[in-house]
Amino acid sequence: MTLPAGVYAQTYDEDQALIRTTPQWVWLIAFLIFLFALPLFGGGRIVGIMNVIGITVIAVVGLQINAGYAGQINIGQSAFMGVGAYAAGALTLHFNLPIWITIPMAGVAAALFGSVFGVAAVRIKGFYLALTTIAAQFVFSFAMIKLPKAWFGQAEGLRLNPVSIFGFEFDTDKRIYYLIMVIAVIMIYGAWGLIRSRTGRALVAVRDNDNAAEIIGIDVFLYKSLSFFIGAFYAGVAGALWGYYVRYIQADQFTLWLSVWYLGMLIVGGMGSILGAIIGTVVIRILQEMITFLGPQLADIELIAGVGGEIIFASMNMLLGGIIILFVIFEPRGLVHRWNIIKESFRIWPFPH
Amino acid sequence: MASLISHIISGALVGLLYALIAMGFVIIYRSAKVFNLAQGEVVVVGAFLLWTFAQPLGLPMWLSLVLAFLASLILGLLIERIILRPLVGEELFALVMVTIGLMVFLRGLSLVLWGAEVHFIPPIFSMKGVKIGPIMLDRGLLIGAGMTVLVALFFSWFFNKTRLGLEMTAVAEDHQIALSLGLKVKRSIAVAWAISGVLCTLAALIFLSGKGMTFLVADIGLAALPVALLAGLESIGGLILAGLLIGISIGLAEHFLDPLFQGGVAAVFPFIIMIIVLLIRPSGLFGWRTIERI
Repeated sequence: MTLPAGVYAQTYDEDQALIRTTPQWVWLIAFLIFLFALPLFGGGRIVGIMNVIGITVIAVVGLQINAGYAGQINIGQSAFMGVGAYAAGALTLHFNLPIWITIPMAGVAAALFGSVFGVAAVRIKGFYLALTTIAAQFVFSFAMIKLPKAWFGQAEGLRLNPVSIFGFEFDTDKRIYYLIMVIAVIMIYGAWGLIRSRTGRALVAVRDNDNAAEIIGIDVFLYKSLSFFIGAFYAGVAGALWGYYVRYIQADQFTLWLSVWYLGMLIVGGMGSILGAIIGTVVIRILQEMITFLGPQLADIELIAGVGGEIIFASMNMLLGGIIILFVIFEPRGLVHRWNIIKESFRIWPFPH
Repeated sequence: MASLISHIISGALVGLLYALIAMGFVIIYRSAKVFNLAQGEVVVVGAFLLWTFAQPLGLPMWLSLVLAFLASLILGLLIERIILRPLVGEELFALVMVTIGLMVFLRGLSLVLWGAEVHFIPPIFSMKGVKIGPIMLDRGLLIGAGMTVLVALFFSWFFNKTRLGLEMTAVAEDHQIALSLGLKVKRSIAVAWAISGVLCTLAALIFLSGKGMTFLVADIGLAALPVALLAGLESIGGLILAGLLIGISIGLAEHFLDPLFQGGVAAVFPFIIMIIVLLIRPSGLFGWRTIERI
């Protein structure tokens, strides 16, 4: 990774800085201002889409740490998200706790559930592990529907009232947008810091070769469990926000297919990159919105008219499946790799290397 | 008491059906070292093909059966050639993701091609239940269970006695060594995919004969997962035992636990057994234990 010409670090702190140059600061601040000003001029639909993107980004960044950095394939992220949503919902409904307690606690609840699989990951590896995490989905759906009605409402789910903090009520899309974006920014910043730390490097070592990592003194048990713990924590926070946004929590919202979408976002964005997780989420979400928008028009085409109302679902599936297959075969490093190449050639221009 | 016995026996029969589907997983995994998560979708495509040949085209049953088997064989070969051949030697994550992608894609495709409404697969054998004493059994499942055992015996023989089967076992052991000994690795993998495609259609035939189906039947692929993992991903004979084990525990769970939870235990119980067994034996009951080197 080269830096722009003329940028070099003179102290250790400068070398460690996340943001190195003035233009980077300018762009970052401009982007944050844009992000937080969006509801002021954006339409309701755009804010709604952004809300879902914000929540999804949190879950996918968690999955990136779990699957992309630590290499533990996890097909149960949406179950972990569901645990977070239910935990936040139940804590709010039954104990009336404020959200600055319930959201972290939702994360911890999901993280504990996720850690079960992290502990299993020490013995169960490869395909066996990936398939074991599918079990998380079945256990989750079963537990939420069968646990006593007073806790999680069984098949009816939980209905929430708008939550508030310091008297500011998150009752509209535009209002909760701020909650989601603030938390998303914090979580992404945290992920960026985490992967640069010793923990992050240890996770990468475990991914690349867990036996070798153990021999050079990395506690594989600890870091495998930790990767699931952190990944599921992100999912739990995302789930809590989802619960407060939709204000209705039901086990059917957190399906295996949602986990598959998240993995698809990772593949499209690029494995092993936080930026990749964000790019993938945004790109796939926008594609989804386009299909939802175009779906009714597609249904008019004579050839596939028999599919009727299922056309959106069917074409979403074909799109997602096709994208995953094409990216795995032709661009396994994802869009972020393309982006890095563009950035790199821009920096060293006019020289070829 | 009769209810308990009938739960156990019908559970065992369902378990053997799962074992048949799991055999498709195992045969591919042995050769290609790929776990084909899209197996359930291949079952659905096989069933829809059978329906298409028998119903709208109006072909006689035996001809539609032959055509459906041929078509699913070709489907298996196509999947291997187009999607998995470029990924030989890739890391695990790519292989998991590509079969997930295939699963989602086939789901969408079968929905576009055949729609969401219920299709009735014409009965291939008599629909009358079989009565043994006070217990009623599903004839299709009974025939299927017998067929599963026969198929498992056949493949045990095939992989241990015939030349092609032994080649495929050698390929399963290690691709590079097999290649350096002059074995045709690519052919072995292609044969495995073709066999598994045919097995999927066989499972569809047994499971769906005379019943209505939609694309949601594909979930049976997920239901068969615990059987494959419990047996270990390399063992054919072990599948029968794992199938019986899972099936009987489903039956027991239905009998004893369902009244407590108002139903639904059967869907989750196999996964719990699977996790517990895998924690004790990480490569299943009969899977090959590999020595990891750095």
